[in-house]
Amino acid sequence: MEQRTAPEGILCAKTHEWVLEENDLCICGLTDYAVEQLGDVVFVELPEIGSSFSKDEVFATIESVKAASEIYAPVAGEIVEVNEDLLASPEIVNEDNWEKGWLVKIKPSNFSEDSASLMEYDDYKEEIV
Amino acid sequence: MKKTFLHEQQLKVNAKMVPFAGWSMPVSYKGILEEHKAVREKVGIFDVSHMGEVIVYGKDALVFLQKICPQNISRLALGGAIYCQLTNNEGGIIDDFITYKIEQENEENPAKYLLIMNASRVDEDINWLSRNSLGFDVVIDNQTHNYSLLAIQGPFASSLIEKMGVKKEDQPNYFSIKRVQLDTVSVYLARTGYTGEDGFEVLVRNQFSEFLWHEFLENGKEFGIEPIGLGARDTLRLEAGLHLYGQDMDEGTTPVEAGLSWSISKNKEEDYNGREIILSQLGLKNKNLYPKKKQFIAFEMVDKAIARHECEIYFEDKQVGIVTSGSFSPTTGKNIGLGYIDFEKSSLTSLNKNPVTCGTTIQIMVRNKLYNAVVVKRPFVKKNVKI
Repeated sequence: MEQRTAPEGILCAKTHEWVLEENDLCICGLTDYAVEQLGDVVFVELPEIGSSFSKDEVFATIESVKAASEIYAPVAGEIVEVNEDLLASPEIVNEDNWEKGWLVKIKPSNFSEDSASLMEYDDYKEEIV
Repeated sequence: MKKTFLHEQQLKVNAKMVPFAGWSMPVSYKGILEEHKAVREKVGIFDVSHMGEVIVYGKDALVFLQKICPQNISRLALGGAIYCQLTNNEGGIIDDFITYKIEQENEENPAKYLLIMNASRVDEDINWLSRNSLGFDVVIDNQTHNYSLLAIQGPFASSLIEKMGVKKEDQPNYFSIKRVQLDTVSVYLARTGYTGEDGFEVLVRNQFSEFLWHEFLENGKEFGIEPIGLGARDTLRLEAGLHLYGQDMDEGTTPVEAGLSWSISKNKEEDYNGREIILSQLGLKNKNLYPKKKQFIAFEMVDKAIARHECEIYFEDKQVGIVTSGSFSPTTGKNIGLGYIDFEKSSLTSLNKNPVTCGTTIQIMVRNKLYNAVVVKRPFVKKNVKI
């Protein structure tokens, strides 16, 4: 698989989600490490648009061939968009976790406080080694 | 953590290693889906050296084997194989295994049998076999740590074995075993497997396993060979409707309850452990004395969800059973599973009057939501074995 690099400015959670803040919205996905650990993704369950989650609450489930993994909200807020392409083609998460494989867009309710516990990508990489 | 003799080789081909039954084993290499496909369409090689190999011989070997399983071992000719269960006194399954007759009895020596057992159960098996051997002139020889086991599975398995020196006409038939020279190495070559494909299991002395592993990979290149991990081994066996010990059966489950009645000898005369209960459940003797407590089922998800091990099975709003294996099926693209309907729990539903048959709609609880599934026949993917 082609090695892609993490987008500039993303923040990562210890639980292997990334967020990118753009125009007051947070795009959220899974890190390369998470995808590597999961293996082939075969099913993605995403939250309903309009639902709200607190930070670190389970908001989605990703299933690989072997097991189901819970995905935690890296920031609190309301789901404003979900990546519907993943429902029909969950393998996009493996192919392009940084861009086409994004999971949801969250309207954050408390970004400055929530983001304080997130790490920049390079620090995250060091943390998980 | 125990390591197979191929451990170093596994790391060289980028195996992702996981602990399994006390062994460090490869769970995948390039990815479960790709490996699964390689076995269905080409050929795969598995290091399954963690499996237990037990050789049983001695004057009473046959009588002893007749006592420990519901299968009729006396019908085995030289080179024959039978799928067996080691049963306890209640008919529960201590392990499932294949018995191969590897040496014919003659005037000087009685026959020799090879039992290939589950890695997670070898200690328990040996303990049970030893306790049952009292009074028999029999040797139970655990050879697990002297042998490596390689599985070569897939439509090109036979061509690969031919290229390695055993012509197709000289290869063992389905469910039999032969002693052959494979590229100068003397091995036991069995035409058995755990994938639903044509294929072989190659039993080789540890000191030659690395050499053979290389030869298989090298000679298998033209057939598109891939090393296959435990992850794909699990999806392959599930599609073939084969049980995984510890999930789909255990000591509290009889072969009849596990849907393995086809494997039981109905006219075996010798007594064996659990015989009364097994014959009663088969309806051959004391029909209602020991009724089945559960029924094994296979199902396909209708709604979009993946059932997993330990998900609950519902019928008419009541929990009636439990999923024992469940996964996405790479070959069919469907979500499939195996499980049990518990008769006690289902007694208040109409299932009690109408046993679960193919086409019955059930529900599976996944993350606190019920999803429809339909009961189907096993296997999910038709066996590709035509020999």
